Parts: sequence; C-alpha cells; structure tokens
Amino acid sequence: MSRKPKQAPRKHPIDRRVISDFLPPEGVPIRFEVASIGARFGAQLLDILLTGLIVLTLFVLLIMSGILSIEITIAISALLFFALRVPYYVVAELLWNGQTLGKRITGLRVISGDGRSLSAYAVTIRNMMKEMEVFVPGVYLLAAPALDGWTQLILLVWVVILLFVPLRSKRNRRLGDIIANTYVVNLPRSVLLPDLARTIAQNKVSSEFTFLPHHLDHYGRYELQTLETLLQVNMNKLDPAARDRHVKTIFKVASTIANRIEFNEVIPEAKTRRFLESFYHTQRAYLENRKLFGDAREDKFHKTDA
Amino acid sequence: MSDAFLMRSARFRKEREADWKRLEALITRVEKRGLNSLEFEQARDLATLYRQAMNSLSLAREISLDKSLLFYLESLCARAYLAVYAPQESLRGLMARLFIYGMPGAVRRCAPQILIAFLTLGLGALAGYFLFVEDPTWYNTIMPPELADTRGINSSREDLLSVIYDSERDALAAFTAFASFLFSHNTQIAIFIFSLGVLVCLPSFMLTFYNGLVIGVFVALHIDRGIGYDIAAWLSIHGVTELSAIVIACAGGFTLGLAVLFPGELTRGEALRRSGRDAVKLAILAAIMLVVAAILEGFFRQIVQNPETRLIVGWGIGGLWLAYFLLVGHKRPGTS
Repeated sequence: MSRKPKQAPRKHPIDRRVISDFLPPEGVPIRFEVASIGARFGAQLLDILLTGLIVLTLFVLLIMSGILSIEITIAISALLFFALRVPYYVVAELLWNGQTLGKRITGLRVISGDGRSLSAYAVTIRNMMKEMEVFVPGVYLLAAPALDGWTQLILLVWVVILLFVPLRSKRNRRLGDIIANTYVVNLPRSVLLPDLARTIAQNKVSSEFTFLPHHLDHYGRYELQTLETLLQVNMNKLDPAARDRHVKTIFKVASTIANRIEFNEVIPEAKTRRFLESFYHTQRAYLENRKLFGDAREDKFHKTDA
Repeated sequence: MSDAFLMRSARFRKEREADWKRLEALITRVEKRGLNSLEFEQARDLATLYRQAMNSLSLAREISLDKSLLFYLESLCARAYLAVYAPQESLRGLMARLFIYGMPGAVRRCAPQILIAFLTLGLGALAGYFLFVEDPTWYNTIMPPELADTRGINSSREDLLSVIYDSERDALAAFTAFASFLFSHNTQIAIFIFSLGVLVCLPSFMLTFYNGLVIGVFVALHIDRGIGYDIAAWLSIHGVTELSAIVIACAGGFTLGLAVLFPGELTRGEALRRSGRDAVKLAILAAIMLVVAAILEGFFRQIVQNPETRLIVGWGIGGLWLAYFLLVGHKRPGTS
C-alpha cells in the first residue's frame, strides 16, 4: 500500500461545522456556521407545535362561538392542517427571508448555496421534500402499531435512511437541502471587542519592555490570537475564584513565553500583564509586517529563513 | 494621541469603525422589521456600507491579525449579505409568474413525459378491463376495499345506478366530502407518484399503471351491467381533471427519474437539480388540479344529475385545461 508523503508538520483541523467558501456576488468569501442537528430538530418541533396550536385555538374558538356546525368546523380545520404543511413553510421562508417561526426562535436561517438570494424554487423544493422526509414518516409513525409487519419494516428503513442523510452529510443537510442546494446556518451574532493594539498604544505600555527580532521569530498567528483571547478577558466581570485562576494563568503564560523566546530581563510580578500586553503589541506589529512581505506565519511550527 | 503611534491595522480599524457600527444598526433594523422599514437614504446607505464592509473584510484578512476585528467583520458581512440579498419579489408577483409562465411552460417542455404517463395510465386501464372480462373476480383482487365502498361484483345494476344518481347529499355533506377528499386516496397517490419518481421512474410507473388497472376494472364492472354510458359521465365530471392531475404528477416523477437515468454530460445531482425546476411546477399544478377536481366531485357531481351535462362539464373543463397549457404564457416580457 502506498502512502502519501507526510505533509506539513501540523495542520489545524478544518472545522466541518463551518462553511468558509461561501461566495456572495461581491467576490469576498464569507463564513457561516452550520446549524446543529439538535437546533434544527428543535426548530421543526417548535414549528409543528406552534402552527398546530394556532389551528387548535381557532378550532376551539369556532366550536365555542357556535356559528358553524361541528362538521363544517372539522372540515375547515382539516383544510387548515393541510395548508400548514408545505404552504406554510414556503410562504414563511419567502417572506421572512429563510426563517419560519421555529427558526426565528432558535436563531436559524436558510441560505442559498450559490451565494445568490434564496429563490422561490429552492424554498419550494426543500419544503416539498419535507413532506416525504418529515410528515409522511411522522404520520405513519404515529399510526405504527396499527400497521402490518412489512409496512413497519419499510417505515423503519425509510426513517433510518432519512436520519442517516443529515448525520453523514458534511454540513448537516437533509435531502431537501441537497436537492435545493441550500444550507441551514446559525444567524451570526456580531460583537466587537476593543482593539488591544490601540488600548496598549494609548496606555504607553509598549515602551516598557523592548523586544528584539530574535524574540519575535518564535510564534505565529495562532499563538498571537490565543494570547489576544486571554488578554481580552474582562477581569471585572469574573467572580473572585475565577479571577484568581485568571491571574495564575497570566503568570504561567508570561513565564512560558519568556522562557521560549529567551527573554532574559527580570519581569516584576506586578508588571506581568504589562509584559504580555507589550509582547502582544510588538509581536502583532512584527507578524503583520512579515505577512505584508509575503511571509505569513500560521503558528509556531512555521519555517524561518534563519 | 496621534494616529502615528498606532500600527497599520489599528489605524485601519479606527478609520472605519464608525461606518461598521452604522451598518450594524441598519442590519439590526432590517432583521427585526424587514427591508421595507428603511427610508430611501437608509436603503441606499445599506448597499454602500455593505460593499465597504466586504472590502474591509477582504483587506483585514490580508493586513490584520486582530482576531476580534476579523470575527466581527465576518459576522457583520454575513448578516449584511443576508439583509441585502433577501428575496425581493412579492408573493403576488411570484404567483402571477408561476401561473402565467411557469406552469404552462413546464407542461409544454415536459410533453413527452406527460404522453408516456398518459399511455401508462391507458395501458393500465385496458389491462384492467380485459382482466375483468376474462374473470370478474379480478375486481376483488385489484380494487382496494376502501375505494369500492358498496360497489362489488355482486352489486346489481340498480345498486350501481343509485350510487351514480344519488342526489340526497346536501351542501354540508358536499363540503365535508371535499375536505376529506384532499387527504384521501388520490392526493396520496399523486404525492407518492411524484416523489418516488426519483427512484429511476419505476415506482411512478407501477403506481400509475396500478391506478389505471383500478379504473379499468371499475369501468368494466359497470359496462358488464350495461350502464357504461352513465359511469363514463359520472367519472368524467371530475375524473378528466383528476386523472390528468395524476398523469401530470407522474410526468413530474418521470422527469426526475429520467434525470437520474440519463444525466447526459452533467453529474446526476446537477441533472436532478435542473430537471427539478420543471418537476416542481408540475407537482404544484397537479396539486391545484386535484383541488379543482375535489370541488367538482364535492359539489357539481351532486348538483348535476343529467349524464349529458356531466359529460359536457367534465370534458369542457378538460378542454379549458388543455387550452391553458397550450396557449398561455408563450412570450415572456423582455425576451424577443
């Protein structure tokens, strides 16, 4: 058996739960987070419950009001239940830009796989397939005890296949999604934390410690951004125990970095954080500069010329 | 302090941050209340700011290692994309397009499949008829019991006639019949015939053929009792529309199945996606025709008792369908 030669020493595992090659017409790829199967199941369940509840309330109100006879009320409710299946989902996803009531509550959204806007056709076909994927098995499952053995077996196989498709599919797509070329994603939330480089520059921290080029050749993007995450933690929001832990982590990280880059000055205990901030600032400026010159360093395993 | 002390990526961020915040406020508004809630200036700004943000994102990926900035821009652009590229068409416009261009066009394009489906149904009916002629007990084998209700091989001519000319149902019963019809046999069959077409046509073919068989033995039973004309009229009033609907659903299934069988130069998935466009329109058309058939069956079959009128109404509506398929929506606006 032939083996491929070993590639680069380490690669960050590609996250299967993220769509990173989604290309809008502007030509800049953007990222979407794929909705989990649990969230999608929840949204579907909420949709069924909510719409069912609406029809049920209407039904009870009609009966209580006594305007129409019971047979007609039943007939109207039956028609409404029919409209609740495919038409409700199609109209809701068209009018609310890829969201139904359940998806609104769980924060999910349907997007079109080709980077254009969601077409009426895509919405229609993905929800027509829902008839085969969700409602028909669902209705038969409720009636399962009354069915004969063969029908139960076929039903079981059908349900297992249907469950298997989104589990095996790379981006949790069900059959309808695959045919319509749509994805269901989490609605992104945007939080903008302050720019560390700016706060550090404003506090004039950067001039306290001096780093030389050989100090800065050790780390790459990954370590820099991990350090950023650590420094972005808001100490005031932590409870005392967590704050203690955080302070200890800062000490540990600082000593590890100092060892690794062979920084020989003594770092006073009170200035540990300042040391890290200063290092972050200088390291980021250095790495960004290297990147501009075509030497993008992914992590500490990068190759240096030296 | 002056910007000169800031590194390049921090300056980049400082200069643009206000615009991003403005874009975020606009998007939040669109997400909550829809694109229509924006003023003209706001809508114009949304488009400009969106493009700027996209620009910033692609630039930031090159020059900045600021993780919080990158994450923020990624999510901001994703949200802005969703807000800007929302489906713009109104429901009414969509419906008009579907009825005027979409469905008749799909029928014309899928004419071969529809013909095959018609032949399948016809073959089934012929086979059913001859089977009955050979041995009437085939009726019990072929006819599903829930469809036959009281009509079996032991029914007399008078029993059958009384079902055909039964005027005792009032409007209420008619409406209930209509509602229950929607969930009944034919709608189920149409759904199955359509969606099983994906499995290389075979299930669609078998189900349509079987449906033909049922009609064949049913008609044969009545002809045997000498009331062929009456049953033809009774079936025609809704059957012309209803059987056409089943045939169209079957043609939709065939379209999908043919794409799987003969994808040509495309991959199977791609072929399926392309033929899906017409197939879906056929399925919607079949659903609408089934509703029309249900109204005809629920109301008119009881009101109209005269076999000649029944024939005229049934085939007249069939002719209207044909005219709709053949004549409507040949020219699209904007195409010469």
